[in-house]
Amino acid sequence: MGGEEGVVTPGEVVGDSSQLIAGRGVYLAPNGRALRASLTGLRKILPPPPGSSDQRSTVEVVGHKAHGAVPQPGSVVIARVTKVMTRMASADIMCVDTKAISEKFTGIIRQQDVRATEIDKVDMYLSFRPGDTVRALVLSLGDARAYYLSTAKNELGVVSAQSIAGATMVPISWTEMQCPLTGQVEQRKVAKAD
Amino acid sequence: MDVEPPSNPPLTSCIDRIVLPGDTVLDLSTMANQTIKLGEGLRQDCDTISVMKAGKLRLSKPNKYWVESSHKRYVPCVEDTILGIVVDSKPDNFLVDIKGPTLALLPVLAFEGGTRRNIPKFEVGTLLYVRVVKANNSMNPELSCTDASGKAAEFGPLKDGYMFETSTGLARM
Repeated sequence: MGGEEGVVTPGEVVGDSSQLIAGRGVYLAPNGRALRASLTGLRKILPPPPGSSDQRSTVEVVGHKAHGAVPQPGSVVIARVTKVMTRMASADIMCVDTKAISEKFTGIIRQQDVRATEIDKVDMYLSFRPGDTVRALVLSLGDARAYYLSTAKNELGVVSAQSIAGATMVPISWTEMQCPLTGQVEQRKVAKAD
Repeated sequence: MDVEPPSNPPLTSCIDRIVLPGDTVLDLSTMANQTIKLGEGLRQDCDTISVMKAGKLRLSKPNKYWVESSHKRYVPCVEDTILGIVVDSKPDNFLVDIKGPTLALLPVLAFEGGTRRNIPKFEVGTLLYVRVVKANNSMNPELSCTDASGKAAEFGPLKDGYMFETSTGLARM
């Protein structure tokens, strides 16, 4: 448990399992006694959660660099739609929860995840267009290429979009947005503004 | 030297005349509440209607305006009946070249009496007579070999004969 200011490296023993519980970045070594770090970072001890039978503190290793946010299942992301196809739309994830991200992540919104009702009658072109900014929920890590996103809730969907004339459109209902310059109404799956 | 901006002629004087891209044919702020339907080649820019394609401005009473033009480039439109050449086949669609901006998709089931068991097999290079079902500017167009009611109606692969490329105006005649 040495090193300056509690910095530990992967594999280093950070505690004993009889006194501490493994938290984030820490795992139980195969011999069942020692707790070892799995990340490089600072070693922190957290107090035991109140009301639990186990009175051991939790030891965790927190990354010493501020890593960019990574989308996790259940987090709400802001993404920009890049491609719209018959059965799905591709989007580039720009922010996770409230943090902007540094690397590029791709998400896919499938036809059945666009809305909650009548999912087989969804027309992707009437829900999203390339260039729209959408708020979506991460469903799962998906495949190697993209996360699976969903907009099947009232507060998820298109947040901001440009009309054919080039102006930012104003939402009218959960399916329509209107261009302020020309008055044309375009269809999108609109997020409920709060 | 002062250059005065050209005054916008009223719409009625441009009917059946040649118009060029960028010409403003109508100023909506001078008109009362009228509904005008814009067809191909016209676009609304805030308060004015301007021309996008060179051609003759046509009117179909009471209120439909469009620009009739003949170009070498084809832009797919819904309900066009066109010829296409099969380029590839996927599990769900055939990829068909319709000489437009992108390849078009022909669903494997879009034939009369089409089921999963009798999927037609088209070789690469087969000439098809098809109908455009969906044509958006950001997605690949979708085709069909049936008419709106589901009947074959002479759509499908063509045998014998000869195909050549023309301008869009000649093809529409």
